[in-house]
Amino acid sequence: MSYQPIPTIDWWAIAPVSIVMVTGIVALLIEMFRPNRNNNTIVAVSLVGLFLAGLSVVPQFSMPFGSSFGGMVVRDYLGLVLQLLLITVCFVAFLFSEPYLREKRIAFAEFYQLALWASAGGMIMVTTENLLMFFLGLEVLGIALYCLTGMCRQELRSEESAMKYFLLGAFGTAFVLMGIAYLYGPTGSLRIDAVSIAVASDQPHFVLMALFGFGLLLVGLCFKSALVPFHQWTPDVYQGAPTNVTAFMASTSKIAAIGALIRVLAAGAPLVSYWFPIMFWVAILSMVVGNFAALVQKDVKRTLGYSSVANGGYMLVAVLAHVQAPEKVSLASTLFFITGYGVMTMGAFAVVSLAARDGKEGTRFQDLHGLWHRAPFAAGCLILFVASLIGVPPTVGFFGKMFIFNDALAAGLLPLALVLAVTSVVSAYYYLGIIQAVFVQEEGAVKNESGRPQAGLNLAVLLCALAIFGISLGAENVLKFMAPAEDGRQPVAERTVAQR
Amino acid sequence: MTGPFANVWLIVALPLIGFLVQALLGGKVVQTLGPRFGRPAMGALAVLPIAAAFAVGLDLTIKLAQLPPESRTAVVTLFDWITLQSVNVPFELRVDTLSMTMVLIITGIGALIHLYATGYMAEERDYTRFFTYLNLFVAAMLVLVLGNNLVLTFIGWEGVGLCSYLLIGFWYKDVANSKAANKAFIVNRIGDWGFTLGIFGIVVLMAANKDSLGITDARWMSFDVILPYAKDLLAMYPGWATAVAVLLFIGAMGKSAQYPLAIWLPDAMAGPTPVSALIHAATMVTSGIYLLTRMSEWFLASPVAMAIVAGVGALTALIGAATAFGQTDIKKVLAFSTVSQLGYMFIGCGVGAFYAGMFHVLTHAFFKALLFLGSGAVIHAMAHNQDMRNYGNLQRYLPITFATMGIGWAAIAGIPFLFAGFWSKEAILGPAVNQTEAVMLGPLSVGQWAGWVGFLVAAMTACYMTRMMALTFGSGPERWRLLPAHSGHDDHHGHDAHGHDHGHDHHEAHADEHGYFMTDAELEAAHAAEPHEHHHELDAHHKPHEVPVTMWLPLAVLAVFSLGWVGALLYENSAWKLKYWLFPAAKKAAEHAHDGPVATWMLIALSFATSLGGIALGLWLYWRRLPDWEGWDLSKWNPLQKASQRQFGIDEVLGDGSVKAGAAVGSVTWAFDRWVVDGLVNLVGGLGRLFGGVVRKAQSGYVRGYALLMEIGVVAIVGYLLYQIVSAGGAR
Repeated sequence: MSYQPIPTIDWWAIAPVSIVMVTGIVALLIEMFRPNRNNNTIVAVSLVGLFLAGLSVVPQFSMPFGSSFGGMVVRDYLGLVLQLLLITVCFVAFLFSEPYLREKRIAFAEFYQLALWASAGGMIMVTTENLLMFFLGLEVLGIALYCLTGMCRQELRSEESAMKYFLLGAFGTAFVLMGIAYLYGPTGSLRIDAVSIAVASDQPHFVLMALFGFGLLLVGLCFKSALVPFHQWTPDVYQGAPTNVTAFMASTSKIAAIGALIRVLAAGAPLVSYWFPIMFWVAILSMVVGNFAALVQKDVKRTLGYSSVANGGYMLVAVLAHVQAPEKVSLASTLFFITGYGVMTMGAFAVVSLAARDGKEGTRFQDLHGLWHRAPFAAGCLILFVASLIGVPPTVGFFGKMFIFNDALAAGLLPLALVLAVTSVVSAYYYLGIIQAVFVQEEGAVKNESGRPQAGLNLAVLLCALAIFGISLGAENVLKFMAPAEDGRQPVAERTVAQR
Repeated sequence: MTGPFANVWLIVALPLIGFLVQALLGGKVVQTLGPRFGRPAMGALAVLPIAAAFAVGLDLTIKLAQLPPESRTAVVTLFDWITLQSVNVPFELRVDTLSMTMVLIITGIGALIHLYATGYMAEERDYTRFFTYLNLFVAAMLVLVLGNNLVLTFIGWEGVGLCSYLLIGFWYKDVANSKAANKAFIVNRIGDWGFTLGIFGIVVLMAANKDSLGITDARWMSFDVILPYAKDLLAMYPGWATAVAVLLFIGAMGKSAQYPLAIWLPDAMAGPTPVSALIHAATMVTSGIYLLTRMSEWFLASPVAMAIVAGVGALTALIGAATAFGQTDIKKVLAFSTVSQLGYMFIGCGVGAFYAGMFHVLTHAFFKALLFLGSGAVIHAMAHNQDMRNYGNLQRYLPITFATMGIGWAAIAGIPFLFAGFWSKEAILGPAVNQTEAVMLGPLSVGQWAGWVGFLVAAMTACYMTRMMALTFGSGPERWRLLPAHSGHDDHHGHDAHGHDHGHDHHEAHADEHGYFMTDAELEAAHAAEPHEHHHELDAHHKPHEVPVTMWLPLAVLAVFSLGWVGALLYENSAWKLKYWLFPAAKKAAEHAHDGPVATWMLIALSFATSLGGIALGLWLYWRRLPDWEGWDLSKWNPLQKASQRQFGIDEVLGDGSVKAGAAVGSVTWAFDRWVVDGLVNLVGGLGRLFGGVVRKAQSGYVRGYALLMEIGVVAIVGYLLYQIVSAGGAR
């Protein structure tokens, strides 16, 4: 009779996810015990929970990196940074959601629970190297988002977009699951680097199957990251969902999906020559289609939706540069850009949410006219967010794009760098359109009188603005923080390369 | 910061403190004490720092004089300012004979003019604002002359330009004043362009050659490091020497009002008269001569640049004198006279007699300040009427002003021996016509020609200054008695008059101009709000009165310094001889000095002839009456006089011409921008929108459509992967 040694449990590794999950459950219980009350308690508890979750991430930066729970959970820089970012994004979303939900007459507190669980799902996605765990996180995130999208029951558009999102999401999930199956088949492994096992087996049909599975997995991830040609749900869903949900979704979903994509692509390194052209063109198409389609939009949320597609393209450029030349290009600029993207998107949507009042919400450009008069502080900060989205120096958006541009050049991806630069210029047009709508009151415009900004919203906007300033001013240091290769902790792609 | 000259910082600090006191406390003090006591109190606080700075300057000068001539240079570093890897630009002040001479002029005359201004501006509402600017000006000017490196000089240079701008536009409610201020500022920008390029040229030269010259001092932008090497350096690069010298001279032309950049100075008379005396006659406009003297090694290395300096100086002297004949505004006469005299100074520099240029700076500072202050006294007495045609026989009413201004007049007219102007003019013209420092441009001896032009201008100067004195103080009819009440002559431009003492009809006539700042209704309201200072028009019942003591005392002091004893500074054996004081090295060279073709007695005879002849002509023409050809009726003027009044069209061509040309260039570039650049941009944008529209078409809104595109994408991706692997002959 032999005793299996009881493995030591790395509680820290699962602490952030657990805390967020439990906070969601507590928030639900509060709602159950105090129905029909205002949501202030729930918001407070949620914010505290998120704060604690954030606190539980920070000390892990100095703990030994590696996987635990039999490879289910992994601790590395990528995961920790993205977890922290997901928590922050959720925190900011909660700050400005309550006034919006009241203006919009959305009487459910479920927003908070669902958002918390969605965050937990995203956090799982970015901290695992196990495909099943990854799938679990994907579904927790996805299903919560489907519900959130349809939360505004009195609006047909919201219901429609939820339905679309659900159907297409199910379609995308099917590909992911099928991809996992095809990877598992030849290798018997659920690890993310099953591809390398297949390659190592030296059996041509194994490799063929693994490649097939890998392709399907990529499709699912591209769908979640809203990359062309799997992007078409994005503008519809962004437009239909309540604005606070859009903000939350735009950030969380993108961060989690790109985080997972980084791991999957890094693990796919042994077959890079096969799939690289595909992702190369996906990146180009995303940047081009996203930016040009945004030019002709008349709705701010749709515009920002296409902008999100384009930004996904930029991120993909950074990831590809890293995968192409991991020894030269670290993941730092990818993380830097994602961080900046999360902050400025949250800020921009928070300001746009001011258009809602008395249960109605117009999000066309003309509905934003005169916002400057109603909410000067928020509108002023919008300039900053938009400047950052355009990439005006010295905002975080500028630095992010510049770092990616440099990375792309360093990795020899000149076409991607050029497309990035050119489409960024194009994007200035529609971004400035938002500013114009807010600041230039055209004659005969529908004047939107109420919608007083509230303290929570102002705080959220202020936090985003300060973050943009802070990250811009300390760009060098932030970048260094995100490039940990020096102390022997290898970034993801290098590790897999080393295994090969 | 030790050594005998350590408190040189006080010279700059005192006016600066005065500036801060005026700026921060002035308004409060006047408000608390009331204008009656507050203004004199702040006035005293404005004069005090300048006078104290003068005392410090005097002390340092005496200390300097006790040193042997070769070691009369000290650099006092106050603090490190710009420290880069290979260059160190400290905040350092240079105490030497040249800078201390300028310091004494600036603070001495500055203190007198401040004192005068306390009386002249006594009725002014913005009393403390005036002294704020004026103190700041003195501080900036002192930085200019004391700075021991080009950067500090440039700071002072721009600082005085700023204060000049602020003071010209002091009565900013009158749009003409604001325009004059703008003009001065803009024209000076052209000069600054040259000055900065000159500085850059020096920096480039020094940076490129400091190693080969063996300069290890990181302060290689400081004068005491540059100047000893200038000769070697410029011998290597004659082209650079000329380029830098000419560029620096362009800067000097702007600040010191040389044609064609002189056009701002006459308009600058829009400022209050003490400003005209201090800034636009005695100090700021001479900073160009200071710059040339400071950098004299550079100029001496380039005969071409020297010829240009002398030529421009002579031209300016001539045009300025000719234009002065046509002016009816007393301050305009003095303004063109200043332009002309500045030309003299540049003749001196151009022929290599830098000390003579500086000497003329000194004497001119006294007698021109005296004349300006005297004219201010006249204007003050005449209820701010500046038109000489409205004066006449004022000697009866303003005896002190007449006597002191008379001395100034005699000095500028160059009456031999007894008055200062004669000596400095001789010091310039003697070397010029005698070619002691050869300035040749091809076969043409520019220096000599400049000297002869100088003599012609001397005669003209004597004549037009006599005209001014005669028309003002002359014993003809008292023309101001004949003035109808609220007379509206064509004298509104460049008026030294408060914005609020015009008649209301005046504002209506210029509603478009005043519309810049205030509508007529607003102006009226403003008038009602402020206590109306009633400058009653003079007529048969109101006689002019002599000015108060604070105003005539400075006149008297300046008059003493305009007398001939100042010529002792030229006396060969004097320890104070300005030439050796400024240029100790010249002492050795002087032993080899030789007489030129024109002997000294001939020069003196020529001076007699020009000054006395000019004066006689002026008296004969103007003493008895105002001649018809320059009377009130412009149609009776003779053509020459008219041309002179219109400044021979120079101002119109350069001023209006450049504005129009600028507008033309602007509209061409605008058209290019509008049609070509914008056209391209709009084309690109249109294409982008077209593409966006195509993409939007694909966005049908139906889930089945989206799913189809996804499916197509899946098939494409997976198909491509399989194709790849098959065409590669299976997976490895």
